[in-house]
Amino acid sequence: MLSSIIWLPVLGALLIGLLPNSSRLIAGITAAASLAVTIVIAAMFNYQDAGLQFIEHLSWIQPLGLDYVLGLDGLSLPLVILNALLLFLAVQSTNKEVDRPRLFYALLLLVGAAVMGAFLAHNLLLFFLFYELELIPLYLLITIWGGERRGYAATKFLIYQALSGMVLLAGFLSWAWFAKTGDFNYESLAATHLPANLQLLFLCIILLGFGIKMPLVPFHTWLPDAYVESSTPVSMLLGGIVSKLGTYGLIRFGLGLFPDAWVIVAPWLALISVVTAVYGSIIAIAQTDIKKTIAYSSVAHLSYVLLAISAGNSLSVLGAVYQMVAHGLILALLFNLVGIIEAKTGTRELAQLHGLLNSQRGLPFVGTMLILTMMASAGIPGMVGFVGEFLSFQGSYLAFPVITIICLGSTGLTSVYFVLIINRALFGKLEENIIYLPKVQGYERVPAIILAILIVLLGVQPNIVISHVQVTTDALVAGVSQDSNTLALLKVNQSEFPTGLSL
Amino acid sequence: MTITTATKIPPSTHEFATVIHRLEAGGAMLPDTPENLMQIIGLYKAYAVPMDFYWRDLLYIAEQVFLDPLPAFKYFLPQEYLDLANHYAGDDADLRIWQKGAASAHPELLEFMEKGRSAKMPKIFHHLLHDRINMEFAEACMQAMYWQRGMGGQFDPYLDTEEYKQNADRAIKAYFKGNPAMLGLYKLFPEMFIEQVRQMSYYSNLGLFWEVMAPVFFEMSDLYDAGKIKSVPDAMNFLVNGIFAVAGRPIYHHVYIRGELFEIIPKSCGFTWLYEAALPYVEAVFYRTAPFRGTKSYNAQAEQVPGEQKDFHYGILYADVNPVGSAGIPPTLLMDDMYHFLPQYLLDYYEQHCRGKDDMLIQLGVSFQRSMYCVTSAVIQALRGALLYPLDDPNPLHLQANRDFFESQIDRFKRPEARLRDIQSQEYR
Repeated sequence: MLSSIIWLPVLGALLIGLLPNSSRLIAGITAAASLAVTIVIAAMFNYQDAGLQFIEHLSWIQPLGLDYVLGLDGLSLPLVILNALLLFLAVQSTNKEVDRPRLFYALLLLVGAAVMGAFLAHNLLLFFLFYELELIPLYLLITIWGGERRGYAATKFLIYQALSGMVLLAGFLSWAWFAKTGDFNYESLAATHLPANLQLLFLCIILLGFGIKMPLVPFHTWLPDAYVESSTPVSMLLGGIVSKLGTYGLIRFGLGLFPDAWVIVAPWLALISVVTAVYGSIIAIAQTDIKKTIAYSSVAHLSYVLLAISAGNSLSVLGAVYQMVAHGLILALLFNLVGIIEAKTGTRELAQLHGLLNSQRGLPFVGTMLILTMMASAGIPGMVGFVGEFLSFQGSYLAFPVITIICLGSTGLTSVYFVLIINRALFGKLEENIIYLPKVQGYERVPAIILAILIVLLGVQPNIVISHVQVTTDALVAGVSQDSNTLALLKVNQSEFPTGLSL
Repeated sequence: MTITTATKIPPSTHEFATVIHRLEAGGAMLPDTPENLMQIIGLYKAYAVPMDFYWRDLLYIAEQVFLDPLPAFKYFLPQEYLDLANHYAGDDADLRIWQKGAASAHPELLEFMEKGRSAKMPKIFHHLLHDRINMEFAEACMQAMYWQRGMGGQFDPYLDTEEYKQNADRAIKAYFKGNPAMLGLYKLFPEMFIEQVRQMSYYSNLGLFWEVMAPVFFEMSDLYDAGKIKSVPDAMNFLVNGIFAVAGRPIYHHVYIRGELFEIIPKSCGFTWLYEAALPYVEAVFYRTAPFRGTKSYNAQAEQVPGEQKDFHYGILYADVNPVGSAGIPPTLLMDDMYHFLPQYLLDYYEQHCRGKDDMLIQLGVSFQRSMYCVTSAVIQALRGALLYPLDDPNPLHLQANRDFFESQIDRFKRPEARLRDIQSQEYR
């Protein structure tokens, strides 16, 4: 069943090649089918079971230790749903007049399939294959349909991502070699116990790989270029879900497999996260391009996830997963809205955008949605961003109080740069040179409406996600504590937060 | 009246030379195109219906409501004023301008007052829901005229004379007879009450002005429908002729208190329509201060507001009719009022452009701007006719004097905010 949600988009990509005139329709149908199957799987998911579910295990290339092992747990479930949803919405957000539609939609579906595979893979080599597979279609999507500096952005993206992949591969290979498990299956590797110094070495390698993917300062320079130069649907996928591969990898392969070493690096990770948060926020304030502001805001907000993961307690890891979902929804919506603004006005420059809330000739729908999303991103209660940040910071405060408080301060900076955008671009008088803006069509509103509903729904009813995630994250942290006395200092018993979790 | 002066004096080198030459040839500032003609005539029609309410209610407030300290029902026009005969329409008219129409309120206006745009309901609900004619617009025009005092003429200085104050005093004392509280207040703050009476005089002034303009616009619409107005100059010339025909109409302020007439500004003062109402109105509302709420706000600290009132340039001829959306303010009350009475051909026209129904208020605002440029052209031509020389005068010196006059008038539109440049293009919507 899990295979279907990986291969349905691939099938869609193949069908697009066979039926050239219906590429958008086929992409929409296959993405919708993949989303529908994902929802069915989520409905069948036993949220009280901390282990892997819907396991599919096929021997593939045994001499290499490469098996086709798929499984789903509470950690990957929300990200799988998010990926399926964003793939569907990315297709809907694509301009109907896009050049070379067949190739575009096919590549988009391949990205969705590869990311889905990475979240479901429980063999390290298989994970690596999917992790690398999304790279080529993304590179092509940026370099063919990107903005003015697409060549530069795509090449930089490719170099950084390839480096991330190479580092990860080196880490996985050497780890498996030392562990002498004979395969790369996650369960086999998790059962081995390496000395702390080797754990530290492999963890650092993995951290470097995923740190580039997330990205963390100072490996972040590919992100603004890639996000800004990408077309809207690609930005939605990049910011919404692809970046989560990094944070997912840190939890799954870092915290999950190297518990002893994690305790040693956790303070340093927290330090990097606060530097990233403050740096990203301050740089975001300085931007004049809305999309660049959002890109740097993404850097800052993902660092909260790192902070929560580094704290390593049940509440913070739960918060990290929630924050990933929140970040994915918010960022996808922000990119979607900025894409509409750019398509209608021809610019993303704050200096040229004023009065977009004008009810007669502006973009009132987009403006309203933008305010809502920016409020969510700034952590206003009642929206998904608040829950993610609240859980993350409440958990991380127990381990790193000072750093958490500084990060909390940086959430205030989020309000600063978003209020600047709202004030300049939405309020005031509509610029006369953009006074004849085309209307936002009904179909263009669909992705924004769906994402906005989810942002509010998960803000007022977070248990929808928490109930499916908590058992797995608790088990993950519980496993860590059994292996490490030191980490127990950081562990917070889940029973201390029953009311907090049922907001 | 197509006249050319090209061979008698050299071409103008003015920034708006094309417009100057057009005026010299008997045209308007607005280019003569069928599309422009359709827009301005359609707008005159849509403007005339609410204007029929405005003038009646302005006179009702000036003559009957007067100094009521709580005038909650001043927009509830009594039947007497709905039936009030317009002096320029109907069989008994002094000078019948609107040939086809009756002297009482326009049927479309009565129908709208009855049903509104939503449904028939008690008058108070129509009022509270703004499902009515927005008299606030007319009052804002009056306030613009009152605030921009000292624009020339004799009417305004008269309001500061002892004679006027004595007339007002008599009316105030009669109005508050048997009301010791208000009379006591009047004793304490006499200037405050006199100031209110001055405002009432401007109510009357504007009401008498619009009493003329409403039948003029109705008649133009009828003539256009009958194919008798075929060009923008035709429309402008109709206005010029109308201006001359009623130029001497008296401007006065009468108040009726318990059935007794009080002449605050008697007709015998000799104030006339053109110089004491039309010109101050055009100067105040077209040039200086349009009561177009929400269209723009000005920052005095950033020196966006001129120090001298004569330098104000916020009238409809300069206004950006696109509203400031963030405040959620509709694009002026007048546009809402006109929207109810647009002829079908204009509705169809607006549907085809920009966002169709969604931004029709802005589109009609731009058309209104075009139509007011046509009215201003008529005023400029009328002034030229009254003060200077015919357009076909054989004397080049006279033609040069005409040109100097036109150029000095058009100089006022050199400001970047002026819409004269914009209306030269049909794409300005």
